[in-house]
Amino acid sequence: MRPDFYRTLLSPWPWLVLTVGAVMPLLLPNYYLHILTVTLIYAALASAWNIVGGIAGQISLAHSLFVGAGAMLSSALLVKLGVNMWLGMLAAAAVSAVIGALVSFIDYRFRLGHLSFALITLAFAEMAEIYVIGTDFLGGASGLFLPRDTGDITQFQFGGGRGAYWVMLGMTALCILVNLAILTSPLGYNLRSMRDNENAAQAIGVGLLRNKTLAMTISAVLTSIIGTIYARYLTFADPYLLASPVLTIEIVLFATVGGLGSAIGPALGAFLLAPVGEILRGQLGDKLPGLHYFIYGLVVIGVILASPGGVWSFIKSLGRRRS
Amino acid sequence: MEELLQALVQGFLMGSAYGLLALGMGLVYGVSGIVNFSHGDFVSLGMYLCLAIYTALALDPYVSVIFTLPAMTILGALTYRYLIKPIAGRQLLMVIQLTLGVALLLQNGLMMAFGGQPTRVPSMLESKLFIVGDVIMRAPHLVAAGVSFTLAAALYVMLQSTDVGRSIRAVQQEPRAAALMGVDVGRVQVLTFAIGIGILAIAAALLLPGMPIQPNQGLRFTVITLLVFVLGGMTNFVAIMLGGIVIGVAEAIGTIYMTHTTGQLLPYLIFVAIMLFRPQGLVWRS
Repeated sequence: MRPDFYRTLLSPWPWLVLTVGAVMPLLLPNYYLHILTVTLIYAALASAWNIVGGIAGQISLAHSLFVGAGAMLSSALLVKLGVNMWLGMLAAAAVSAVIGALVSFIDYRFRLGHLSFALITLAFAEMAEIYVIGTDFLGGASGLFLPRDTGDITQFQFGGGRGAYWVMLGMTALCILVNLAILTSPLGYNLRSMRDNENAAQAIGVGLLRNKTLAMTISAVLTSIIGTIYARYLTFADPYLLASPVLTIEIVLFATVGGLGSAIGPALGAFLLAPVGEILRGQLGDKLPGLHYFIYGLVVIGVILASPGGVWSFIKSLGRRRS
Repeated sequence: MEELLQALVQGFLMGSAYGLLALGMGLVYGVSGIVNFSHGDFVSLGMYLCLAIYTALALDPYVSVIFTLPAMTILGALTYRYLIKPIAGRQLLMVIQLTLGVALLLQNGLMMAFGGQPTRVPSMLESKLFIVGDVIMRAPHLVAAGVSFTLAAALYVMLQSTDVGRSIRAVQQEPRAAALMGVDVGRVQVLTFAIGIGILAIAAALLLPGMPIQPNQGLRFTVITLLVFVLGGMTNFVAIMLGGIVIGVAEAIGTIYMTHTTGQLLPYLIFVAIMLFRPQGLVWRS
């Protein structure tokens, strides 16, 4: 039925990468395991964003809102009301799905252009941050501390370093798999036709509202769940990190640099840039304030100038030249 | 009533400076089709250049413009020629990411050079007030509004009736036809980007008096500029200035009338509301 999807699934490469990924915690010291976990979080976030931003070509800057919902709402439910974090995760994912659907509806109803859509979603994200910081139930400006991670899976606790890493590895694999499934399904063809020419797509019978809403909702739910895992991993739900539009900017950066619209590109972008950022911060963060971000900026500009079509298409073109 | 009048006047004055910020972005977008996310960080750069000149030579920010204007114009030209031009015409998002890279460089370059603490640059006009009836106006705001409108008018005249202006408009309307008519499109693009950044040197000096500055403030300016720019329908000069005033007034009313949180939300709410009912922005003929 979907030969491409199953061919990719049956080829040995993804399983090899996944196996190597799964044994990493047994080999790496804690510090590098932490870097890898953060990288996986960003790889998953970039992949989830790619469903809307890459495949459907809608520059959504609202995704910090979904991360924020997943992180702050589930944490608040746990800390303030004692609700199990699994339930909190589902509740936050439901809220994110509703907001995502609403954003899609607004986009459809008012036929927003690309820039207007980007700016309106950015406005939503900015408002969400201001709202979270101003609301005591969600932790306000000081954030929420989560109870210590004892490794009790029924309480959404995965036992710190290694456990969180494995959970994130699974989540990243899931996000890439969802991307692959969408790309090889009718939904993927619809989304791509909408991206390339919305009017033409509508003329041949692609339902704009249905497809846009579906893409945004899937992306929002995945993003929200990653947000919950991120907050649990940090054991501190920090609104200035998890609900800030700056987070979206980073996600979009990774996705774009890696290669928009492909299944693996956005995760690749995160794997290329996120560790560089983390290691630079670790090595230079305390030397001269600003230096590590400055070098990071140079790396970003360098990578973009070297592969302006995205790193993944650059690698593919190398492969083609060789064969 | 007094408060409302005060809010309207203050919003109008600040808003005209926001309009000036967005004019540069609109000019660049019209000619090159790129959206510059390092816009606000160039404003920061302009402000810190004034600080450096003040520290070295004790010059007032308004006077420093003589130095910062050419410096920023040249920097703008170099940025376009060596960073943006090689990938212009690629996906819009890729170009935006590159300008975000430039924003990182500027912001953290400033952080390294000046440290992260908020500072101020004194100016001779800083504490002067004008009182008309019940409305208090700060002199720097008056200067900012006056200069912004003058500059907007000057730009408009330049675009309408000089050769450079005509070639800019030609590229804006139809780059291919302009190239066939002998307009050097690449040169016009470098030139408009340089002008767009040069304007920011002036805008920086206008906004500076009385405002505490920090290296990480750039994104805030970028977001305000983007709101105004999209409200103004991206390229229409008059609508962009109007958009600036709308955002400025919304900000002023939000700070004076409402609690902290809703006050900060107000400009965004108004932006979303206007965009939903007038997706083309404040332009009257679509």
